[in-house]
Amino acid sequence: MKKLFIVIFLFFGSQEIFSAGGAPCGDYGECDSFKPELENIESLQLGALTFINHCYGCHSLKYSRWGRVASDLDIPEEIFSNNLVFGKDVKLGDRMTGSMEPSVSETWFGIAPPDLTLVTRLHGSDWVYTYLRTFYEDSSKPYGVNNMVYPGAAMPNVLASLQGQQILACKDVPMIASNGGVRRDEFGNDITEEKCGYLKTIEDSGSLSVEEFDEVIFNLVNFMTYVGEPSRVDRERMGWYAILFFVVFTALSYLLFREYQKDYH
Amino acid sequence: MTQKSSGFFNWINTRLPIVNTYERHLSKHPVPKKVNFWYMFGALASVVLIIQIVSGIWLMFGYENTEEGAFASIEYIMRDIEYGWIIRYMHTTGASMFFAVVYLHMFRGLLYGSYHKPRELVWVFGMTIYLVMMAEGFLGYVLPYGQMSYWGAQVIISLFGAIPYIGESLEIWVRGDYYISGATISRFFALHVVALPLILIALVFMHLVALHEVGAGNPEGVDIEKHLDENGVPLDSVPFFPYKVLNALVAIGIFGIVFSIILFFFPEGGGYMLELANFEEANPLSTPEHIAPVWYYSPYYAMLRAVPDKLGGLVVMGAAIAILFVVPWLDRSKAASIRYKGVLSKIAMTVFILSWLMLAWLGTVPVTALRTTLSIIGTIIYFAFFLLMPIYTSIEKTKPVPERL
Ligand code: HEC
Ligand code: HEM
Repeated sequence: MKKLFIVIFLFFGSQEIFSAGGAPCGDYGECDSFKPELENIESLQLGALTFINHCYGCHSLKYSRWGRVASDLDIPEEIFSNNLVFGKDVKLGDRMTGSMEPSVSETWFGIAPPDLTLVTRLHGSDWVYTYLRTFYEDSSKPYGVNNMVYPGAAMPNVLASLQGQQILACKDVPMIASNGGVRRDEFGNDITEEKCGYLKTIEDSGSLSVEEFDEVIFNLVNFMTYVGEPSRVDRERMGWYAILFFVVFTALSYLLFREYQKDYH
Repeated sequence: MTQKSSGFFNWINTRLPIVNTYERHLSKHPVPKKVNFWYMFGALASVVLIIQIVSGIWLMFGYENTEEGAFASIEYIMRDIEYGWIIRYMHTTGASMFFAVVYLHMFRGLLYGSYHKPRELVWVFGMTIYLVMMAEGFLGYVLPYGQMSYWGAQVIISLFGAIPYIGESLEIWVRGDYYISGATISRFFALHVVALPLILIALVFMHLVALHEVGAGNPEGVDIEKHLDENGVPLDSVPFFPYKVLNALVAIGIFGIVFSIILFFFPEGGGYMLELANFEEANPLSTPEHIAPVWYYSPYYAMLRAVPDKLGGLVVMGAAIAILFVVPWLDRSKAASIRYKGVLSKIAMTVFILSWLMLAWLGTVPVTALRTTLSIIGTIIYFAFFLLMPIYTSIEKTKPVPERL
């Protein structure tokens, strides 16, 4: 009986049933993976700097407080207030409510830039990391850019001066035979076909190389991941103690249980 | 029986029967000496109930039951209250674990026929608890007022609207407004934190009183009351204290490990326990592309979606739960436990549990034509398991049940 069911499940377990809906990162397909380094304070600091200089003008982090970020990221209060905090009347206990009136930004972009405190939890850090690296030039769009992860996004490519021009290009890729291998001609050369929709950065058009730019985005998304759940490092650290406690608890009660079980066995 | 108690307890006990009650229901309460791990989930459900009540009270210290403040107050608990995140994750992990242990507890009931005479009422109280839990979970899910809170509530409340004649007025009455709003949040809050927990506690109390009246069952389906010692205590039993308390402690320890792993390392449960779309504040103007309930409602949600007509879906979903109440009268088998039932029961149980799991998965994913077909098949199997039970349990040959445990 169980075997029959396994067969039925394998039969239905084809592509069609397990994949409905689009890929997680839109036209880009699978998202690039992002592994946060929440204990890398330097990376978090650099990310915070990038966020405040390039994103905070449009996006708030309204559930987060300035002072909490300063103390979690080991930024001395004075440096923090003088260099990072936006606006002079801001106190450390204030929330990071952004510097733009939502009604103003809505008339500019047609849509108010959303608060980003929880964006890494909402879409996942992978998604955000991929999104920020997949803007490309598209003259049909109001800002001249489009995005592969979020086609039609109403956000300009604010880091274009760092990244340079990114375009959609075509390239020759090996043709895949039906058996999954690369198809070859009679001389043993790979048969290729032209496919389009690949991202390509035009060399030297931005102030950073591709690797440097990826690192800037890594730090930025690392910081955004921290802001999404500032207690995460604490949580994972305390988790080990909790588990240890219950392991000891289980072991002791098991020994006691075995002792008493002798009474009735 | 109370000679050994000190003067103080004696004084109290002659006025309020605490010692008697303690001995009758805890220390001397006879429990079958051989049970297996399936019998631990009732104790674990009691533990989770306490976790939910305590963490819930702590959450109320920071939660704000208004349309403007609800979502932000959850983030306030998560960030600004010291260790608020532990309280919150305890409550969200607890909700999922509550259903997990109760589902296993119910499955034990089906497996070993725990609902057989004389434990029918224990089962019926249990089912009533389950019903209240489903309502409690739904109400609680609306409180953080994220996108899924809002749209999930929208789907569920609109089901009331499908009821003929009174539907529309009923819908408004439940919501307290023409659309989901602050009025909905504050009434759901009152129900979630006061009304339903009170009912739940009362029902658990009745569940246990009824159980202790007739005594607990065992995986063999042996009636231990048939062989008593000179004091009228079943020979195949041991007193609850200290023997069964130690069983429970081991179970609680293992449960604590699982609970901690989830709470501290996977609090979102892969998006099945805390849905990721709920990290965005409710927005009545933007419908999420895919509305799915948390995992513990998903089998019934799959049934709801399997029926194209809203009222029909509601009826099917309601019937799926209602039919569980009458299981004690559908099972005609001479043997309670699956161990001594015939092959038909074993096949039925296997098919049933597989299709239930399939429905649970189908309820969490977007619909396609094939999946709808599978949901229909799963729903039919679900009902067939119960509706055919009187037939297959009475025609099959059972094995003889032993006299002693
Ligand atoms: C000029 C204003 C502006 C700046 C500066 C800006 N954004 Fe945006 N951003 C927007 C707008 C407008 C949207 C909404 C796009 C839409 O929904 O179509 C958006 C959307 C987003 C989203 C998608 C959110 C969602 O839930 O869909 C992310 C992530 C994001 N921005 C990150 C950033 C980061 C990181 C920076 C800094 C490097 C930044 N933005 C700088 C205007 C801006
Ligand atoms: C808050 C939820 C619940 C709590 C705290 C709870 C608690 C308990 C406890 C402590 C026991 C005795 C130990 C055991 O057999 O596991 C028990 C037995 C039982 N419960 Fe529950 N229960 C709950 C929900 C349910 C539900 C939803 C059902 C099924 C519909 C159910 C059906 C039963 C049955 C039939 C027994 C008797 C088992 C036997 O003696 O063989 N309970 N319950």
